[in-house]
Amino acid sequence: MFDWSIITQNADLILKGLWITLYYTVVTTVLGLAMGLLVALAQLTRITAISWAGRLFVEFFRNVPLLVWLLWSYYALPIFLDINISKQLAGIMALSLYGAGYYAEILRAGIQTLDAGQTDAARALGMSTGQAMRRIILPQAFRRMIPPLAGQTIIQMKNTTLLSVLTVPDLLYQAGYIASFTYRPMEVYTAIGVVFLIILIPSNYLARKLETHNR
Amino acid sequence: MNTPDTSRENPLVSIRGLSKAYAAHTVLREIDLDVHEGEVVALLGSSGSGKTTLLRCVNLLEKPDRGRIEISGQAIFNQSAGGDDKAGIKQKQVNTLRSRVGMVFQHFNLFPHMTVLGNVMEGPRIVLKEDGAINRKRAMEYLEKVGMADFADRMPHRLSGGQKQRVSIARALNMRPEVMLFDEPTSALDPELVGEVLSTMITLAKEGMTMLVVTHELGFALEVADRVVFLDQGTIEAEGPPADVLLHPTNERVQSFVNRFHATAELMRPLLQD
Repeated sequence: MFDWSIITQNADLILKGLWITLYYTVVTTVLGLAMGLLVALAQLTRITAISWAGRLFVEFFRNVPLLVWLLWSYYALPIFLDINISKQLAGIMALSLYGAGYYAEILRAGIQTLDAGQTDAARALGMSTGQAMRRIILPQAFRRMIPPLAGQTIIQMKNTTLLSVLTVPDLLYQAGYIASFTYRPMEVYTAIGVVFLIILIPSNYLARKLETHNR
Repeated sequence: MNTPDTSRENPLVSIRGLSKAYAAHTVLREIDLDVHEGEVVALLGSSGSGKTTLLRCVNLLEKPDRGRIEISGQAIFNQSAGGDDKAGIKQKQVNTLRSRVGMVFQHFNLFPHMTVLGNVMEGPRIVLKEDGAINRKRAMEYLEKVGMADFADRMPHRLSGGQKQRVSIARALNMRPEVMLFDEPTSALDPELVGEVLSTMITLAKEGMTMLVVTHELGFALEVADRVVFLDQGTIEAEGPPADVLLHPTNERVQSFVNRFHATAELMRPLLQD
């Protein structure tokens, strides 16, 4: 009933899709983390306007559906700004910002729950806010945030499948394409699901391992 | 320990009219306090009396509402009643001041992601931008002094409370502070570990270190301090040589404070006789 030759015959397309999926995962994770850190720090400042802007950012991206945000970024935003945005750029921007909203919350919580005594000790030595953040707070916060950050990154990878609606040729898009000319959606979509499981089950396992390691 | 030169015109730490409130609750009222070079001052009082807040105000970990604080004649906080002026004191100056004031915390607050040596070297390295080799050599000397040199490569979580506190003393000393602040340094320790920390502090006092110590150890106050300051509800109720204040208290509140310790001792007596 299963005809797996469909998969082996189109392995190059699937590999190409996998490469695209991994590429978008890495790029949007790095950008998302960097922006998320900025947003987290913004929320933690004592300057009300900046902390509110950070809060607003998080609320926006945690409450708008990703699919809506993606389609809006590609189809609506260029009209608003009267510019051309490639689907790649729209996809990277939309996914990174969306991830940043979630990363920001993880980072903010990690920084805030760190024992206030650590900040006290750093400041008592004469460190500036920046030095205390860089040397004392963030290294500890990051360490304990590895598990939730890993979890969010796994979600980020799964979210890249939504890029296929912008016709970015990721794994899911390639699956649709292969299915369209082989008429074997069963094998194709099963294979794509399996590829995700093969990558993400060990990743999840590793994340849990890091969690127990850090206790 | 030493004979402090109380006649000096310029105290190392000078506090005038210091007040602090959290919302409607006043923690400190118009505190005046001087600490002279080489002097050991014990801050006593029941919990909630404001002694820890006062100590934390000295290096501005806690921001007072008004008053004036000087370290070695240099104002680091100056705010008159109702005024909004801070005498133009910048955060950078506050950081510099803090680097000259050592602090030891009740819960040690060692940096858990660094080794013992890393903890001790961190301040001079980051704040004073000091050369690594010189810093390392002196850090090891201070670890030697507190009896922790053999533990230089350990991570803090593998130390006992007493060991952690001795490392935190070395960490503060490595900045070569002009004055050391101790915030209940033995309160979080198991009773059998209190001695090793107190003996480190006694060594420092003997060497002439200027120390301001918030403590519940009446014995330490009596034996080591040059002066005790007794706080109650945010005001200084009594101040003077330890024997005068603690052994012959004239102040009613000091009396009841000291009596509580006697009462505990009385309670324990029958238990100890078994």
